[in-house]
Amino acid sequence: MGEVELSCRAYVKMYLHACLFPRCSVNGLLLSSSSSAGGAVCVTDCVPLLHSHLSLAPITQLALTQVDVWCSQTQQRIVGYYQANACTSDSSPTPCALKIADKIAEQFDGAVLLMLDGSKMSPDYRVPPIVMYERKDSRWTLKDKHTIMLRQWEEIRDVASQMLDSGDHSLLVDFDSHLDDITRDWTNQKLNSKIAELCSPVNGNI
Amino acid sequence: MASVSELYDVGWEEMRDKLRKWREDNSRNSEQIVDVGEELISDHASKLGDDVWIIYEQVMIAALDCSRDDLALTCLQELRKQFPDSHRVKRLTGMRLEALERYDEANKHYDAILEDDPTNTAARKRKISILKAQGKNGEAIRELNEYLEQFVGDQEAWHELSELYINEHDYGKAAFCLEELMMTNPHNHLYCEQYAEVKYTQGGLENLELSRKYFSQALRLNNRNMRALFGLYMSASHIAASPKVSAKVKKDNIKYAAWAANQINRAYKVSICKQHSDILKTTSFT
Repeated sequence: MGEVELSCRAYVKMYLHACLFPRCSVNGLLLSSSSSAGGAVCVTDCVPLLHSHLSLAPITQLALTQVDVWCSQTQQRIVGYYQANACTSDSSPTPCALKIADKIAEQFDGAVLLMLDGSKMSPDYRVPPIVMYERKDSRWTLKDKHTIMLRQWEEIRDVASQMLDSGDHSLLVDFDSHLDDITRDWTNQKLNSKIAELCSPVNGNI
Repeated sequence: MASVSELYDVGWEEMRDKLRKWREDNSRNSEQIVDVGEELISDHASKLGDDVWIIYEQVMIAALDCSRDDLALTCLQELRKQFPDSHRVKRLTGMRLEALERYDEANKHYDAILEDDPTNTAARKRKISILKAQGKNGEAIRELNEYLEQFVGDQEAWHELSELYINEHDYGKAAFCLEELMMTNPHNHLYCEQYAEVKYTQGGLENLELSRKYFSQALRLNNRNMRALFGLYMSASHIAASPKVSAKVKKDNIKYAAWAANQINRAYKVSICKQHSDILKTTSFT
């Protein structure tokens, strides 16, 4: 299938989301602002969703609807789903991950399912701690590593570590946190600006 | 790097009181506890009197949570010196081994406590936590069920069991645990709301109606619970849209959904005003 590119912003936010809630499973949606050209998908952003009760329906449904509306207002679309399991020894997709990814795939053909591998998230790890799945013959199968692109991985990894060290992950708002305090912005505009400042010499297309 | 007392302009008494508050609230804000506690212990231990021991315990557990084994060991050694034969300290030794993923050794410590005192609930719960950490959810559930047969009033255990069942997608049993919790904590809006979410997830008209009732109950107990408000809107809307309901039920649920939608809109309107007038919040000490 097609190539998938992860932008700096998308990767850093996913990483910070997992770091903000190290004791919980977390999940979120992957977004793209460009229409897919020649089967290639560029994941330009992500929306962190939950850090509790991932498999319960109401809040997930609510979040999917709200993100959908926001996407249509901002010329983006939902192109995938990410999850990081609390138990780092097992980074395989859970039934609820598969279910949500299925739903996304109904609306978008090239949808991807991304699992963050908690055991590989140390700051000096040489390869991105992600495992990506794509839909083939109604099943989620491992994506060929060569079709996954992260431009300038070392720089992106360093941006993520830097932000973690300076405590910027506490700025991240996921949908769960938004429901605890609705003045908090789940689109994370402030965090996006911070990432852009650090990332722009690195990644041309954010 | 600035000390906590410099950064927040607080004295050692305030730091000690803050730690007490966090103990009473059972908050798991381990990074903060480590920051405050480490400074308090290193600079003011002599002033703390007998409080120092419980603070060592609190800081030790928080240190384990933050992978600060150096600090955890320091605290543990002080406690061991003071209370050489204590089961409570033995449990802390076990917890440190858990943090280092030396589960077999940790289990040996807990088994030794249980041989001496079979009613020691803390040791039993740690053994169950080890199963959970190892991803052995099925076994953890079995052990926790056995534990609850003996210690039927342990709220924390019932809640843990409900979480384990939710993770295993066994919503029926999760609902049962939450029912136990609601019976003994009828004023807790969070249990009502979680129960409603489980019922909604189970699906089907009957469960949807139950979920709507419990979202409403959660709102009665706390009218600012946004999850309950959204839940009420969604469950009422789904019921109203179902072809199986009578015209009256449909009408009633449309009314409930409309009320909820109104409340949601009002809440967001107010919040936007707040946001504009809000001063940037600094990382707070609260």
